[in-house]
Amino acid sequence: MTAATAPRSARPSRPPRSLVGPLALLVFAAITWWAASEEYGLNFDVPRLFSNLTRGAGILAEFWPPDFSVLPRTVAPLLETIQMAVIASVIGCAVALPVAFLASRVTSPNTLAYLLDRGILSVVRALPDVLYALIFVAALSIGPLPGILALILFNISVVAKLLSETVDGVDHGPIEAARATGANRLLTVRWAVLPQVLPNYVAYSLYAFELNVRASAVLGIVGAGGIGNLINETRRFFQYDKLMVVVLEILILVIIIEWVSIWLRRKLV
Amino acid sequence: MAGPPLLIPPMIRFENASVTYPGGVQALKNVTLEIPDGQMMVIVGLSGAGKSTLIRAINGLVPLSDGDVTIDGVSVRHAKPKQLREIRSRIGMIFQTFNLVNRTTVLNNVLMGRLHDAGTMRSLLAWYKPEDVEIAMQALERVGIVEKAYVRASNLSGGQQQRVGIARALAQQPKIILADEPVASLDPPTSHVVMRDLQRINRELNMTTIINLHFLDLAKVYGERIIGMRAGELVYDGTGAEADENVFRDIYGRSLTADDMLGEAAAAG
Repeated sequence: MTAATAPRSARPSRPPRSLVGPLALLVFAAITWWAASEEYGLNFDVPRLFSNLTRGAGILAEFWPPDFSVLPRTVAPLLETIQMAVIASVIGCAVALPVAFLASRVTSPNTLAYLLDRGILSVVRALPDVLYALIFVAALSIGPLPGILALILFNISVVAKLLSETVDGVDHGPIEAARATGANRLLTVRWAVLPQVLPNYVAYSLYAFELNVRASAVLGIVGAGGIGNLINETRRFFQYDKLMVVVLEILILVIIIEWVSIWLRRKLV
Repeated sequence: MAGPPLLIPPMIRFENASVTYPGGVQALKNVTLEIPDGQMMVIVGLSGAGKSTLIRAINGLVPLSDGDVTIDGVSVRHAKPKQLREIRSRIGMIFQTFNLVNRTTVLNNVLMGRLHDAGTMRSLLAWYKPEDVEIAMQALERVGIVEKAYVRASNLSGGQQQRVGIARALAQQPKIILADEPVASLDPPTSHVVMRDLQRINRELNMTTIINLHFLDLAKVYGERIIGMRAGELVYDGTGAEADENVFRDIYGRSLTADDMLGEAAAAG
């Protein structure tokens, strides 16, 4: 008749609770304590952080008002920053495409190529871009070239990693269909896989470009070209009001790039 | 198999073919079968009976673990990669879930059927010869949706998507068509439209057509010959007319229910 009178079937008994979750949480808490503790770590405490912050207020005040007289001098290095980012993004993302396909089990021709490619990628990713810039500056001399090389390596590792993970998740149906037509592996990737990941690839490339513009602020400090040189110079002479102008410029540039990439991505999907 | 050697080998020949999957599941057990040129053959059986494996053994998408499958006397099992692609190029395949690349156009999906012949460089750059585009257009014409050529595949209905799948197979200009549950994702009226398309292609182009179906009434209407499979073994081989309820009950190993029938306009063949 109604649900209330329906015979009640036996309920399954609750499986034993797994201890993995609480244990992981405990380990996590221990590591955090270790990093911040007085005896073993950095003796970090939050109230002191705030009291120290106010001490820096005097220096922070020197950033304001910005001294716009420096503006003409920023134009050339800012353009150099953008140009470095463009070149590094185009080359880095182009190389990242085949590297990404080799780094996914779905598209890699064999285990050897897969492992080799993944291995090289993790070695390249192990060092941060500033360290690469330092090495290239030492090897090549000061200027945008070592910066571009460092950014290319960075872009290959970032875009190839993100894209290979996207390739891992594509729909296998079209791949089977392409294989069934007798298409070779390269064309199967081109026509069954690439169309599926193309919007992601474009999004990752734009993201890499954005990161490159930001990174060149740091790269310049080690002599690898771009707006960072100017940051370093103004900072060394305590011209914080001029540094503020550069900071504002980078902020605006990155926001504009983000707007453009959001618009582009929306067009593509 | 013993017996007098045939002067002209039948197009598709299974010789004691077995498939054991890496998990130890034996999906095909010692199947011996001949399928002559131009036949429209339907394979019936429950899910997991080995229908899909049987079909995929023909174009080598599933490797045999024992025995052999030959096509025009050429072994699929012992074919080198290039030879295997050559064999596959002459076999069109249609899938239950259509396996289209949703993000690209109908025409690009159908042109996948030309990849084996269009040249790797040209195909990589989507710089197809006009002849190949014309073959793709004719294939679309044959299934009645040539006007959708430049529409994104994802914008089509299920029935239309399956016709794109058929057109992709036809664009290969194959001698054999394999269809793995081609109507299982479609509603009953659309199922008949697609089955009639396949029947028409079989008759007009004289392509050997092998179709997996689980609806028995559809199998009876469209199958010139019916093969029954149970637990990886061939348990029935006869004409559609001979296959009555007792035969199907035997193949399924249980009594039949309404779920085994598509119903609706079953006699529409």
